[in-house]
Amino acid sequence: MFRLQSSKVLAVDMTGDAVKAKNGSMVAYDGEMAFKKLTGGGEGIRGMVTRRLTGEQMTLMEVKGHGTCFFADRASEINLITLQGDKLYVESSNLLATDGGLRTGTTFTGLRGASQGNGLFTTTVEGHGQVAVMSDGPAVVLRVSPQYPLSVDPGAYVAHRGNLRQSFQSGVTFRTLIGEGGGEAFQIRFEGDGLVYVQPSERNTIAGDV
Amino acid sequence: MSTYGTAPGAGPAVYDPVTLPSDDNVDPYTFCVELKGNQWFLQKGKMIAYYGSVEFNGIGHGRLDRLVRTSFHSPLHASDWVVAEGSGKMLLADRAFDVNAYDLDEGNLTIRSGNLLAFQPSLSLKQSIVPGFLTLIGTGKFVAASNGPVVFMEPPVRVDPQALVGWADCPSPCHHYDHGYMTGVMGGLRALTGLGGTSGEEHQFEFVGAGTVLMQSSEELMPELDTGATPQQAGVPGAGMSGGHGQGPGTPRLPGQLGDLQRRFGL
Repeated sequence: MFRLQSSKVLAVDMTGDAVKAKNGSMVAYDGEMAFKKLTGGGEGIRGMVTRRLTGEQMTLMEVKGHGTCFFADRASEINLITLQGDKLYVESSNLLATDGGLRTGTTFTGLRGASQGNGLFTTTVEGHGQVAVMSDGPAVVLRVSPQYPLSVDPGAYVAHRGNLRQSFQSGVTFRTLIGEGGGEAFQIRFEGDGLVYVQPSERNTIAGDV
Repeated sequence: MSTYGTAPGAGPAVYDPVTLPSDDNVDPYTFCVELKGNQWFLQKGKMIAYYGSVEFNGIGHGRLDRLVRTSFHSPLHASDWVVAEGSGKMLLADRAFDVNAYDLDEGNLTIRSGNLLAFQPSLSLKQSIVPGFLTLIGTGKFVAASNGPVVFMEPPVRVDPQALVGWADCPSPCHHYDHGYMTGVMGGLRALTGLGGTSGEEHQFEFVGAGTVLMQSSEELMPELDTGATPQQAGVPGAGMSGGHGQGPGTPRLPGQLGDLQRRFGL
């Protein structure tokens, strides 16, 4: 059972079950715990090869035992997300921990990933259970519905879930080229039905400079 | 309607265009601006997401000429600012720093250039004569960021240069150096070499008169924006640094030596 000890420390109460967490993110534990590095993120040989090929590297460990285990990473804010059979798309660098029963994988994101400087692929988490996602500052959850599409700055995007189409929006004109650009030249546009997690901070992206 | 996140206890609040506040904070780190055909000046790269149709144009855009003429008087900052217009709701944030909106009513407020996120065109933006600071004059709302919540203080007060966010309605500050740091043999030696231990608190900004001083509860500075150079003209502070005092820009500075104005402002 995931709970937040503070906004930056995740506490997981375990009774013999397992969680997958980012390698090295354990800060303290209480009880009996066993830590095992999951080669290839527990996705098998195929997942391992895919991750290697796509550059969406993720080193996970499996934590199993009885007691409470605490996780944190570089004082990032932690957001808990409960999945009920749907799929969460998140950057591997933002994923802190998932329930042992959730499946992780990789998927192609296209230009959106490239504009973030995160590569063309992203991580998916699927199943029933809880996920802890990190962000720089507490994430704002924004709903996208058919009548309300949303545009997001690539640098502030953290994760999304639901049945969303994403397209890459570019406002690059001749003005951008002569240095008179709008400063918000690239956006990801989400349409459909779902939720988008946005952090109150921007990573450095190529798009940030034009 | 979407079913995501509507289950009780499913975590943080989920916002959509209807539930997002209008011109108010979503949380301490995110501010929501509602656009209804009006315009806002926005520092580049501070928009994190928006609903609706919003257009971002650089200050140099010809159609905005009239607006810029009335409310933007800082040519050196022009490349850092854009005008957002359209209809919808727009979220602003900056490096997960605290953001807050302030209302000015026929007032003036001077703020560190890196801390100002956005302002309404009913305010006019001018460069302060203190390098690295901007002055807003008029009536309207603006959004500013600070590292940690903002603390308001009344002059007379001496503040640490790194913790100063801005000041309103009071005269510009002057530099204050601790007396002991500059007098006596030991003091002179310390000032010259930096040896003998300095507390790092020998220099403050001093405010006098009536008004309000805004402080952040941290000494972490916003990365300063390149403010360019002020016109090289007699009587303009910080213009080209070619003025009277013998030390040219090429002369190496001794450790601990009191720096020039710009360095003291963190530029």
